[in-house]
Amino acid sequence: MIIEEVLKERFGYSHFRSGQKEVITTLLAGKNTLAMLPTGTGKSLCYQLPGYMLNGQVVIVSPLLSLMQDQVDQLKINGEKSVIAINSFLSFDEKLNALRQLNTFKFIFISPEMLVTENVLARMKSLNIALFVIDEAHCISQWGHDFRPDYLKLGYIREQLGNPLTVALTATATSEVRADIIHSLSLQDCEQIIYSVNRSNITIAVEHFQHYREKRDRLIELAKRLQGPGIVYFSSKKLAEQIAADLKQQGVGNVMPYHGGLEQETRMLIQQQFLHGQLDLICATSAFGMGINKENIRYVIHFHMPMQFESYVQEIGRAGRDGHPSIAFMLYSAGDEMLQHQLIEGELPDESQISLLENWLNEQKPTLQNVTEFEEELSLICGLNEIQLRLTLDYLKNCLANGNDFSVFSSKFKNFIRERLDSKKSKIEEMVNWIRSEKCRRLQLLDYFEESGQQQMNDCCDHCGFSIVPFERIEAENTESKHKEVNWKERLADILLKKREGEH
Amino acid sequence: MFGCYKKSIILYCLHRIADERTVYSVFHLLNGKKSSQTIQDAFLFQLTPFFRVYPSMTRLQFDQHLTEMTKVKWILEYEPSQYRLTDLGREALKEQLKKQPLPVNLNGWKYHQLSVVFWERLSLLVQVISNLMYSNSKYLPIQRKKETHLWLKQFLQDTKMDRQVLAQKVFNEVVDCLENSTSIQPEFLISRLTGAETIGLTKEQAALQYSMDQDYFELQFQSILHTMLSVIKEKPVQLPLLNKVIQSAETEFTMTVSAQRTEELLQQGFTIEEIATFRKLKRNTIEDHIVELALNKPDFEIGRFVTDKNVAEIAEAVKKVTSKQLKHIKTIVPHAPYFEIRLVLAVFGDSL
Ligand SMILES: Nc1ncnc2c1ncn2[C@@H]1O[C@H](COP(=O)(O)OP(=O)(O)OP(=O)(O)O)[C@@H](O)[C@H]1O
Ligand SMILES: [Mg+2]
Ligand SMILES: [Zn+2]
Repeated sequence: MIIEEVLKERFGYSHFRSGQKEVITTLLAGKNTLAMLPTGTGKSLCYQLPGYMLNGQVVIVSPLLSLMQDQVDQLKINGEKSVIAINSFLSFDEKLNALRQLNTFKFIFISPEMLVTENVLARMKSLNIALFVIDEAHCISQWGHDFRPDYLKLGYIREQLGNPLTVALTATATSEVRADIIHSLSLQDCEQIIYSVNRSNITIAVEHFQHYREKRDRLIELAKRLQGPGIVYFSSKKLAEQIAADLKQQGVGNVMPYHGGLEQETRMLIQQQFLHGQLDLICATSAFGMGINKENIRYVIHFHMPMQFESYVQEIGRAGRDGHPSIAFMLYSAGDEMLQHQLIEGELPDESQISLLENWLNEQKPTLQNVTEFEEELSLICGLNEIQLRLTLDYLKNCLANGNDFSVFSSKFKNFIRERLDSKKSKIEEMVNWIRSEKCRRLQLLDYFEESGQQQMNDCCDHCGFSIVPFERIEAENTESKHKEVNWKERLADILLKKREGEH
Repeated sequence: MFGCYKKSIILYCLHRIADERTVYSVFHLLNGKKSSQTIQDAFLFQLTPFFRVYPSMTRLQFDQHLTEMTKVKWILEYEPSQYRLTDLGREALKEQLKKQPLPVNLNGWKYHQLSVVFWERLSLLVQVISNLMYSNSKYLPIQRKKETHLWLKQFLQDTKMDRQVLAQKVFNEVVDCLENSTSIQPEFLISRLTGAETIGLTKEQAALQYSMDQDYFELQFQSILHTMLSVIKEKPVQLPLLNKVIQSAETEFTMTVSAQRTEELLQQGFTIEEIATFRKLKRNTIEDHIVELALNKPDFEIGRFVTDKNVAEIAEAVKKVTSKQLKHIKTIVPHAPYFEIRLVLAVFGDSL
């Protein structure tokens, strides 16, 4: 069957989006591929479609639990039953069961942390893997996203699995990051299919404020004026909640906060309400949006700046997936970067914590075999939070495995932390420079990803000039009509019996 | 001004335990701590309806409520961790309960677990039927738990009904269940259900829609679930489908795991002393377990632990004292051990 037919039959689409066909045919020709396609173009299809045409299983390594769940849901919605996600959400029994029946699944999603465990890997080896997929592959790279030690082991794992046909997918990777991906996966003779990160239908605007209050007021004004649906991104859960409440009070209805601290049921409902058009605006942390397939998001506002361009491009990339004009606002008030600095410092252990760690090591002298037993003790004694602990333990294990001395460890670790901090800080610095610069926003972004772009004629950015008018709502939001009281029996009949008012 | 309904509930509970316990027994009760002490208190002071109604309230939040209520002089800390309502507090509580009465059918003790499962299943069932009726196959299930999904699959397989028939029957049963119960407002529940075309409201949104504070909405919502559960149990034959919804969700439970282990050993014929030695626990702890059993098991045989004579004497003593504090009872029957008094209270507490 030719691939267009599969596209039609399996997915119901009549043509490929740019880049998709190229990636798929390359894979079907048996070549390892690194594909960089812009946000929202349909990278999932690039492994799903060949998956159906190849004999054997498709194993997808995915960085975030929520993202994994979204992808599984998406496949299931499309009628695929033979799909499973292996992650820490599974209970012990569920995991055991899943592993036992692993060969019966077509699509297997797995987190790198799970994949490196011995019994899982052993089970994986017995599969017939037709395609090995690394989604959001920039996470592999030190220089890409947040440091995930287990990602660095993917090359080894790939080898253990007999070097299956592999595709690495990303929307945002500089050439440095791409080289890093290829290197860590040892993808010899890898085809690179690189498309521009540019999303020409998204206008980019940056606004400066002296004070927090001004910025807040502007946000409220924008939320009132702009045509939704929209997303506002915050770096703090508390602020996301508070501003959502402020907005409601200001008469901007249909707005809800979304972040990882909410109950699961609440998160589900809010996400679904947004997809169904019952909500117009979400005040979110970056936990929201990954894997949310809403085509008609018209604007994305950053109330706080992201930590780096990669995240920025991905977050604004949630707008305008239907190809229609959309707008991204970055609201910056002087000193905003301080919050980002605090956040990254909170992720890494500081010098004094490492000194405490050193003392502890010299007293306790843990070995590679027993070090995990000390997790709790370690986190208590050194005051490490979860992220810090994961990183520390991993680095420590690595060190022990290489037979290093403890004194070597702590100086090495300190260096490592300093490097990470510097790298992260310079990324924040780059964002700030971009915010402060006077040149075309888009060209600079492209420049960051080493692309030579062309000046865009219309609605490019605040420096090139744009009009906000096309992005404004035509009518004021109508909050009245929604409050119509419906009798509960009628509502239940509507849900269960498909009976509308006035019908019988 | 109350701010939130949790305060009213705390006041109400404090009022009930009247000087006999520390304020944290109230916290444990609302939080649903499964310890023998909390469980006994719930029965002793007739606070079982409120068991685990606010499971996610933190100690910090609880303390904050206390601080605020102390500031406005509704309560008074007369001894460390011992609080008492002031006249002002009693007035405020009365006022508040007039405006927002305690939901009548609330039964946290009996249903706090079952109602969670019931809601998960019911909301998923309704969503699935709705999407069947609207011939929509592309949707995300609103409940995420695997067990709930597996249950639903089984349910649909077992009932083997045409979708129209199934939809109509579920509709009839839910209406039947809700319509004949006075003093609940079914819309609180129905507005939270998700169908093919509209997604249900979150608790927060629903509270806003009905203009009440979230804590009060939470109680109202729970009381609807509890009402439905007791109706379903009352007439399982008339509500066969809803009855099926709660089947195999019934856990023996409500006891601590440790107490269950003690129960097993008792059944095997071991004495309290032996169990304590065997489990390396204090005798006191084992006694706590037995009191827990007494509270939980309708067929508990008190005769194994207390002589008929002592039962009668203690029961007499309980009737004489106004307070249910153990030490007051003990002064009347000095020869009876505390353990026996607690057992008699556990078994006959309500009727004495
Ligand atoms: N050929 C196509 N025609 C029409 N729609 C498509 C096509 N391919 C994918 N889509 C749709 O595009 C949307 C985005 O797809 P997908 O999530 O795979 O994008 P992505 O590139 O992985 O995005 P992200 O960068 O956020 O990860 C989905 O709703 C998908 O169904
Ligand atoms: Mg993707
Ligand atoms: Zn420009």
